[in-house]
Amino acid sequence: MKPHLDMDKIARGLRAERTGKVSAGGGYFGAMQLLAEIETRFRVPVGGGRATDPKWTERRLVPLAPRTLKRLEAMTEGVKARSGVSVEPMQLAALLLEKTTEQLDEDDVKDLVAVRRRSDR
Amino acid sequence: MAKRHGKPVRKRSLLKGGRKRVLVVLFVPSVERDGTTPIGQERWVAAALAMFGRVFGGATAYPKAKGIWRDDERDGVLVRDEPVVVHCYTTPADIEDPGNLVELGSFCRTMGREARQGEVGLVIGDEYFAIREFSGE
Repeated sequence: MKPHLDMDKIARGLRAERTGKVSAGGGYFGAMQLLAEIETRFRVPVGGGRATDPKWTERRLVPLAPRTLKRLEAMTEGVKARSGVSVEPMQLAALLLEKTTEQLDEDDVKDLVAVRRRSDR
Repeated sequence: MAKRHGKPVRKRSLLKGGRKRVLVVLFVPSVERDGTTPIGQERWVAAALAMFGRVFGGATAYPKAKGIWRDDERDGVLVRDEPVVVHCYTTPADIEDPGNLVELGSFCRTMGREARQGEVGLVIGDEYFAIREFSGE
């Protein structure tokens, strides 16, 4: 049976950050498998700092309404409280942008732009 | 008629704090975070084993793994590393003990600071913990 552990208490005691779930197996092969998972999922930039998705190589300034930023901050706090996964508001914004752009087709974009123009008048 | 006795009840007190069923994994890197400067890995593996032995009762260090990854933030340069994975089985009570956590955290911060790491990684149970703030020891 899986032992119940108070991960928040452990994180506080270690002064560490809970970063996410992994499938930790025992023995040599478990160790090697886990290492591969860690190296792939939680890669720290060479200059130090927060672990990030290595595919995010482009950086742009994105203008936001204050209420959108507040909403992103509230969502990331919710994620951290529920799952212990720490994510920055703009990392969440990048994730949402990535997911949404994958789902939208050309007609959706036309509709979005049309709605925006009408509301600007 | 002889009185039948039920199965003897196994008391938890026989195994203080429960069975050693929580896996703690520490990754000992081979290089500094620049990806090239060696850190004196053998010394850190020996120190990690000594710490796990003293605090949790034992540990196993596996032979070096060979890793490679592409650093997309530095024009896709390939970075090679040879981390050592240290496994320690402990009890839920021992891993939640504040004194033990202070010792484990302290070791990770010392290694992170002296071996110039961006992060020291620790897995406890099925969670990955990142230690990035190395001051205070």
